[in-house]
Amino acid sequence: MHIFEGFLPSPWWQLWFVFSIPVILYGMYKLNKLVSARRDVIPLLAVAGAFIFVLSSLKLPSVTGSSSHPTGTGMAAILFGPGITAVLGVIVLLYQAIFLAHGGITTLGANSASMAIIGPAVAYAFYKAASKAGINFYLNVFLATAIADWVTYVVTSVQLAVAFPAAEGGILASFTAFATIFAATQVPLAIMEGALTALIMKYVVQIKSDVLIDLNVLSTSAVAKLKEAME
Amino acid sequence: MAHILDDYAVLSPLRYKNNWLKISIVTFGLLAGVSSNSPLVPFLVAICMSFATLYFAKIPISFYFKLLAAPASFVIVSVVIIAFFFGEGAKLFSFDILGYTLGVSKAGLNMALLVLARTLGGMSCLFFLSLTTPMIELFSVLKATKLPDSFLEIAMMMYRYIFVFLDVAMGVKYAQSVRLGYKDFRTSFKSMVMLGTNLFIRSWEQGEKIFVSMNSRCYDGKLTILDDKRPVKFSELILTLVYFALVILTFYFTRGASVI
Repeated sequence: MHIFEGFLPSPWWQLWFVFSIPVILYGMYKLNKLVSARRDVIPLLAVAGAFIFVLSSLKLPSVTGSSSHPTGTGMAAILFGPGITAVLGVIVLLYQAIFLAHGGITTLGANSASMAIIGPAVAYAFYKAASKAGINFYLNVFLATAIADWVTYVVTSVQLAVAFPAAEGGILASFTAFATIFAATQVPLAIMEGALTALIMKYVVQIKSDVLIDLNVLSTSAVAKLKEAME
Repeated sequence: MAHILDDYAVLSPLRYKNNWLKISIVTFGLLAGVSSNSPLVPFLVAICMSFATLYFAKIPISFYFKLLAAPASFVIVSVVIIAFFFGEGAKLFSFDILGYTLGVSKAGLNMALLVLARTLGGMSCLFFLSLTTPMIELFSVLKATKLPDSFLEIAMMMYRYIFVFLDVAMGVKYAQSVRLGYKDFRTSFKSMVMLGTNLFIRSWEQGEKIFVSMNSRCYDGKLTILDDKRPVKFSELILTLVYFALVILTFYFTRGASVI
């Protein structure tokens, strides 16, 4: 759900920058702190960012035949937490705008708010809460990823609705219009991406579970339990 | 995989022009498009920038139009919604659907046209930048800003690894498809999962390796790049100023105008 260049009119694109920039600066501050404590994270984070970019440029097989791309942000939020995902997400969005012509520069603020900040933050909060509640790990990853996608798309609809309110019914009416029409593609897409990410996690647990422990995604005992269930 | 615009940028005849000049041309176009109230200004920007991309940067026309069509689905759906919902007043035309009356008003149509023109203008500016300036050139510009070093480091290394992983991903995908890995929905989903997992694990191991190899070459958290001096030619400057003047004049004269 990228908003394309020039789509948002004047007060709105600046306002979304005003919203996004402090969050990203905070993310950079966290990042700087992390980097000065552990220098080896720079290459790891860079590689993680490249992974998000490549994942988001792969085409998902889709029933309708339309091409759709996973966002990868839900997975990043689960793995790295919302602060770092915000920073990586902004770089990915910038590269997507410049390499693939997805999104744009003036709309970078709005796109960062929906795809790099709010979506991943909600997904992360959900993941943490649900794992405390003891829900199955794969189901949790599936739901968190799908929620990241849905929240992203709801926020995008809100961004479009406040910028272009309907004459009758105002913001709410145009929100409903944008949200229902985009739902046709976004609802199945989110489910696909959730399933994809959950299955990827299953393989990762199987092959390289120590990464998940390093990143604090799962505890050692949880990994042992998941591996036991597989056999 | 979509086209990586960087491929064209690396070979572009405009690659070694002054970066700041190109960036100011693009920023000017973007800002003029977004702040204009008449669709003419972004439309003019779109024409000028497309001309520059096709004529000076020698991008094949068919490829360029394919690129412009990329955002089409999103933009057309959104523009239609805006046309129907935005603006009050007399409807230009309307019809009944399931008991609701849907109609397009003058203000709504104007707004939709404006948004369409702005998107077109913005995209053509962005394409001009991405088809003539490889990311490598932009890093020296980013270095001049006050962004923290760690952020730039990550951005630069990410840039390199995007290509490494794209290569891996395309290789795996190719190998999967010759083995009929994408023959129907179920198998393609399974192949996709395997591809994603492999990419994740591979990238993780690569990240550990690169840290070791960079450390053994005295990496201290800073990559330095050479920033060449590229003076702006007089003819380029004149052309840019003419373009700026043209856009500003159009901006001034179409302030209150609307198409319909």
